[in-house]
Amino acid sequence: MVGKNCVAIASDTRLGAQAMTVDMNFPKIFPMTDHTMIGLAGLATDVLTLRDQFKYKVKMYHLKEDRVMAPRTLAHVVSSTLYEKRFGPYFVEPIVAGLDPRTHEPFICCTDTIGCIDFAKDFVVVGNATENLYGMCEGLWEPNLEPEDLFETISQALLNAVDRNALAGWGAVVHVITPERVITRNLKARCD
Amino acid sequence: MECLLGLVGKDFVITVTDTSAIRSITVLKHNEDKTRVLSPHTLISFSGEAGDTINFSEYLQKNIQLYGIRNNIELTPAAAAHFVRRELAEALRSRNAYQANLLLSGYDKKKGPSLYWIDHLAALVQRPFAAHGYCGYYCTSMFDRYYRPNMDLEEAKDLIRKCLQELHHRFIINLPRFSVKVVDKDGIREIEL
Amino acid sequence: MDMLATNPAVHPTSTAKQAAFSPYADHGGTNLAIAGADYCILASDTRQSSGYNINTRFAPKTFKLSDKSVLATAGCQPDCNMVVTRVKHSMKGYKYTHNKEMSTPAIAQMLSIMLYQKRFFPYYDFNILGGLDEEGKGCVFCYDAVGSYERVPCNAYGSASALIQPFLDNQVRNKNQQGKEKVTEFDPVARLSIDEAMRIVKDAFTSATERDIYTGDFLQIFIVTSAGVEEQLHPLKRD
Repeated sequence: MVGKNCVAIASDTRLGAQAMTVDMNFPKIFPMTDHTMIGLAGLATDVLTLRDQFKYKVKMYHLKEDRVMAPRTLAHVVSSTLYEKRFGPYFVEPIVAGLDPRTHEPFICCTDTIGCIDFAKDFVVVGNATENLYGMCEGLWEPNLEPEDLFETISQALLNAVDRNALAGWGAVVHVITPERVITRNLKARCD
Repeated sequence: MECLLGLVGKDFVITVTDTSAIRSITVLKHNEDKTRVLSPHTLISFSGEAGDTINFSEYLQKNIQLYGIRNNIELTPAAAAHFVRRELAEALRSRNAYQANLLLSGYDKKKGPSLYWIDHLAALVQRPFAAHGYCGYYCTSMFDRYYRPNMDLEEAKDLIRKCLQELHHRFIINLPRFSVKVVDKDGIREIEL
Repeated sequence: MDMLATNPAVHPTSTAKQAAFSPYADHGGTNLAIAGADYCILASDTRQSSGYNINTRFAPKTFKLSDKSVLATAGCQPDCNMVVTRVKHSMKGYKYTHNKEMSTPAIAQMLSIMLYQKRFFPYYDFNILGGLDEEGKGCVFCYDAVGSYERVPCNAYGSASALIQPFLDNQVRNKNQQGKEKVTEFDPVARLSIDEAMRIVKDAFTSATERDIYTGDFLQIFIVTSAGVEEQLHPLKRD
């Protein structure tokens, strides 16, 4: 979700094997640079594989180019990494959220499992409870939210959406990325 | 049908595996050991496709032992777990994937005991307690109710007994014998409940 | 000539074809209802579609039953129509027999039975019945296709229900909002004024219209108060 000079990214924390919950504290959002995070929803094994791959690619870029990777660049890295496996895809839908390292301009996007990028100016959603999330975000989001208001908006959107989805929930984590710092909060949620 | 349980206590990890080798409707063997020792302080227990599990876990065992010999240092449980995951994940997208579910329990001299849950898709999660297969449906709820961090061995054994009792009581498959192993600072040993 | 063309048994045109017939269709559309202390609001869009086609942009599927009750239907249009006709018919019978109008909870019970009578060939129809109960309180009853029903403070049914329902949970029932009184099934009445509720209804539909292709064109709102039923029509996006 985009705010005024800030972006927020949030996820639930459940890991399940179909209906059985295996872990209630499974991270799906990973920091890539100081101002960029990537959220991966989907098959847990591919979440871990891609997390490692993206970390590697971001670090190598940093070493080779001696500059921090911009979120827009990372989005294209993500896209091409996924499209490499066009006919045997990773079952993961990523979200990239961050601020441009130089201008601090907010950037968010998501892609599908084969890397088709969806740039958005307001919000993007992926994963299990997308319909619920679209409804919540369309209802709650407004332009130019300050970090604290953005936090409240994204939290309410996520919590109420996952409460209507049997396969999501069991806690949530929210990161608000501002030029100065990243605010991370773990939310209490319904665990049923 | 197979049962794999694990639980992290104060300074040990306890793992339970059933000992039945089942094929179709027949029990072939009653004293099958479904664990392999990866290093003096790391134990892996497995369930899944009969050939795959043993082939894969022995492949892991030998490679981790080789690492120990070459580098004169034991692979930590965390490192071993990530090695296992990598091997499994690479196999998954090849033509010969392993159909194996794993629990990796280990004791690290610095970080203490740890338990890793790894499924046949190579999803890796570190857990205070974990289970694979149908017994998960019975035992995870028992763990949710009775597990506390820092349990001592007697308390942990008690909880495991509760779980096995529940399995005997409710689970349709007959699993008469279990092998219980403990990993702690002294290494790996089998215990009686 | 090859085998395929000469052997009539395997000739592509000679094999018997069975025409598939399905008695059900989904015509999309969304309904929403909120019960307040002394009012009830029912809202629905008016688009009717089949797959990617729009049949018509104005096909109301919410009907006034009496001065105190309104029925919103979504699903298969002919089934919805049949249900509404039968409910109205039975209400007329009730009035002639007892010389009084049927109360909303009584209609609710009757509708449940009517749906369950078709248990093994159900109406493909998801109903929300709203209005005022005997005490003049707002009431909303929501149904599944075979007659299970429940009195709730608010509900969304139809193609955009997944989009709207969590929004209502949050804004009407105050779920996940610390320090705000929760609205539960035990006292299923929203703690909102009519104006606040109307704002939420319109917000919910403009949001749903953005993302759901089956919802749009016009928003029809019925406001039931002790003064009777007021009907409003608002435009929605038509794309």
